Amino acid sequence: MQRKYFINITFLLSLLLLTNACSKEDYAIPVLSTNLQNDVIKRSLGPNVVGQQIEFAYAMALGPEVGKIVSAQVEASIAGATGTFLENRSFYTNTGGADVGVIIGGASVTNGKTTNVTFTADTSAVTLRYYYVVPEEARGKSVSFTFSAKSSNGQTASYAMGPYAISKMDMVLGLDVTDNNACYISIADMAVYTEANAAANADKIDLVYLYRTTPANFTHALVSPAADAIYRPGITLPSGVNRSAKVSKVWNLRDWQLDPKHQYSVFVDDLDFQQLDLSGAPNYALNLKAEAGVWVETADSKYRAYIFINSINNGAKSARIGIKRYAL
Amino acid sequence: MKNHIKIIVIFLLVPLVWVGCSKDFPVDEDGLLITDRAQCYVSNFDLIGSDRLSVRTKTPLIDTVAQIINIEVQFGTDLKNLYPQFTLVTDAKLDPKITGKVDFSDLLNPKVYTVVSGNRKVKKPYTVFVTVQP
Repeated sequence: MQRKYFINITFLLSLLLLTNACSKEDYAIPVLSTNLQNDVIKRSLGPNVVGQQIEFAYAMALGPEVGKIVSAQVEASIAGATGTFLENRSFYTNTGGADVGVIIGGASVTNGKTTNVTFTADTSAVTLRYYYVVPEEARGKSVSFTFSAKSSNGQTASYAMGPYAISKMDMVLGLDVTDNNACYISIADMAVYTEANAAANADKIDLVYLYRTTPANFTHALVSPAADAIYRPGITLPSGVNRSAKVSKVWNLRDWQLDPKHQYSVFVDDLDFQQLDLSGAPNYALNLKAEAGVWVETADSKYRAYIFINSINNGAKSARIGIKRYAL
Repeated sequence: MKNHIKIIVIFLLVPLVWVGCSKDFPVDEDGLLITDRAQCYVSNFDLIGSDRLSVRTKTPLIDTVAQIINIEVQFGTDLKNLYPQFTLVTDAKLDPKITGKVDFSDLLNPKVYTVVSGNRKVKKPYTVFVTVQP
């Protein structure tokens, strides 16, 4: 008896399942909400370095039949440095591939932590870029952002981004070093000095740049003042310039922030400096090529740095370098 | 019927036992295969700097009879932080193993590496002489 019930129930359930499985589902195009909506993406990559920009794209839209956008605002948890702004242009790409800006309002106004754009154009959809210049105050901390927009029908929308860690390191780009001229490099000052200036900053000079054609394979070099004299031929050091930095050559470490022209690159971050071990490293590096680099630790162990060789010029006996520096 | 089952089981067991008793390929203490090869020599050698680029100025001289390697490195090479790179004959291995940077700065006491043949019966020590480009 029980077996009969079991078979019948199973049959009925199977029939029900079959009916459902074969029923046709009509597709309906989703109805878009006409409410004010927004979205944000972070466009910039890599470590967030003091003095550099963090870039966002803020998109906002509502149904044109219900109203228009009247203002957009970004509030940072730490006020941005000078140069922080929200674009007042929305960009589109023309047939030639160029980005063309369309002005939608007045220039942004930054008041403390808040940057605001008031719209003047009658628009219901727009994407604005936001550039936050990392202030000194944010070093080693984290920063968050709240993007918000208002529409003429009284609606508001907001979007939170972050928190983003701000790197402890510093960065300087485009330092030109020239043999027997501006050749004294200070990691502490992130600067290059001539012989006269080096004497005045003798306790801060960590490396000397030089270029030699002999011995062979000498070429472009970064040498500590205290290195053996055979590694700095023809150099008479200014009085008091005698520090000994540890130097280790690196190849194929093209930091994107120090050398943005490369599509495929990596980022040197705080962690790299924290884990760097230069014990046993020499105090000179010879035969440096374009796009090579050196890790450096200053004699007083106050700083670690990565010096990237952007370009070299054998004829002019010069090079262009960029430095990332981390205070220990 | 029982006889049939016994025969089938026996037929299945015989190949299993045969496979189970076949001799394993011998391996050494490093888990590397010990083969029949008795050849024992270095076919190429290089020294790599901290930037992972070769520091040699020309092809090194490898004397497989005298068992010496003469290599000249670039002026200014940091001899304390070099990665030696050996190319050995098939199945051979090196003793001591290279696990990281090696200090070649003591030019008066050159490093010695022993090549061990594939059959692990032939051992030939090679002395690496490093000279710095003037």
